[in-house]
Amino acid sequence: MDFFEQQDQARKKTKWLVLYFGLGIAGTIVATYSVIAATRFYIVSSDYDLQRQLPVSLFDLELFLPTAAVVGLLILLASGYKMLQLQGGGRVVAQELGGREIAHGSRDRHERRLLNVVEEMSIASGVPVPSVYVMDGEDGINAFAAGRTTSDAVIGVTRGCMQKLTRDELQGVIAHEFSHILNGDMRLNMRLMGWLFGILFIALIGEMCFRLALRARWIGNDRSGAAAALVMLAAGAGVWLVGSLGGFFANLIKAAVSREREYLADASAVQFTRNPDGIGGALLRIGGHKRGSQVGAPMARDASHLFFGAAFQGPSLLPTLPCPYG
Amino acid sequence: MNTLLIILVVVAILLIPVFIVIGLYNSLVKLRNRYKNAFAQIDVQLKRRYDLIPNLVETAKSYMTHERETLEAVIQARNSAASARESAQGHEGEAEVMLALASAENQVSSGLGRFFALSESYPELRSNENMLQLQEELTSTESKVAFARQSYNDAVMNFNNRVESFPANLLANAFGFPQASSFEVSSDDERDPVKVSF
Repeated sequence: MDFFEQQDQARKKTKWLVLYFGLGIAGTIVATYSVIAATRFYIVSSDYDLQRQLPVSLFDLELFLPTAAVVGLLILLASGYKMLQLQGGGRVVAQELGGREIAHGSRDRHERRLLNVVEEMSIASGVPVPSVYVMDGEDGINAFAAGRTTSDAVIGVTRGCMQKLTRDELQGVIAHEFSHILNGDMRLNMRLMGWLFGILFIALIGEMCFRLALRARWIGNDRSGAAAALVMLAAGAGVWLVGSLGGFFANLIKAAVSREREYLADASAVQFTRNPDGIGGALLRIGGHKRGSQVGAPMARDASHLFFGAAFQGPSLLPTLPCPYG
Repeated sequence: MNTLLIILVVVAILLIPVFIVIGLYNSLVKLRNRYKNAFAQIDVQLKRRYDLIPNLVETAKSYMTHERETLEAVIQARNSAASARESAQGHEGEAEVMLALASAENQVSSGLGRFFALSESYPELRSNENMLQLQEELTSTESKVAFARQSYNDAVMNFNNRVESFPANLLANAFGFPQASSFEVSSDDERDPVKVSF
């Protein structure tokens, strides 16, 4: 398989995954509706004797539409809020990660080399030259790209990445980051994180209902109040379960999308540099380095999806990055 | 009323080829500007490369006293490449110019290759900060030239595809759009980097 074919495949898979994500949101809406409808069914049927025809059916368009609208709106608002939060351009992210911008006229040998390699890749990929940040305190070998568009994108590397890689390897890593910028991966990631937050927000509302009902049950004395609280308790738990399950699957899909984008970036790195040994050598060197690709900055955990190599050690259920030996 | 309509229809039909020709002309101009711009990217890097070489030789001169010939060959190649670059201004894409530039550029590359191979045996020179920086800059401009050449060649291919395909091929000559030449590295010694063993 050549690198163009690999890129096509990664793009195609991403499309499917994003579609699954949309289906997940639709599923969340339907599941939330089911919980609400079941709750209403329970309330109404307990008041009626069983001989008579129940005035509600399980599927009721008049209930479904407002439910769908409210749930959809909630997801939309929550994800909009999250995206707004994440929106600070690449510079903000780089500074929060402890990066220092490299001045254009730097005389330091390694900084000079890094700036040159970035310019080379900018020519090879046709993307404007981004600002370059170095994380002076980081000894591990890692790099990230951040920003929404090609014009506000930045590339950040750890000091270890700048100093310990050979020129070709550095070129491979930078080309990989350029692919993220060129393919709009940062924007895609932000969107997915927003949607994920939206789905988890539904779980949060369910949890809130549950807690409220729990407190009300202890306070309320009379029988009907206690019964209502019990119903609310069950409904809250149901909504919470739906949101959590939705969130879990959304997280899985997000991790899978992330992995595909990494494959795409590796294939693009080969396209830009025409040298598969660069990126390959860099991955192997990370494997051999005692600090690997670790990043110690406290902010790094929130931004782990941006990084080129795994920023943390230890097994993870949802690796967002492909294993270099896999 | 009817005759007016017929006249309008006839005029419209007559105008269609005019619009097609205008569209073709404009697309040719656009593609030509694209490859010219791509060449300008190469040109910037070549200029920088040719500006760096005298500094390099100046720095090396006091160390490599026994390599006068090699140093002179590098300067010679650099000078003829610089003049080839000068004469290429405004003639980008013309076959002769591109060929001359490519062969001059090859001379420079092989001269520099020999120079860096020889410099390995001058440890003092190798540890000179100025020298290291110049070497990094030259390596970088070399790979920038290579990447810019790729995009120039892509732009030339797009332009040539347009010029050669029907119906543009009927008009391209009349409008003065000859085919453009790509910038190829012809000699083998640049394709396979010089292997140095000690």
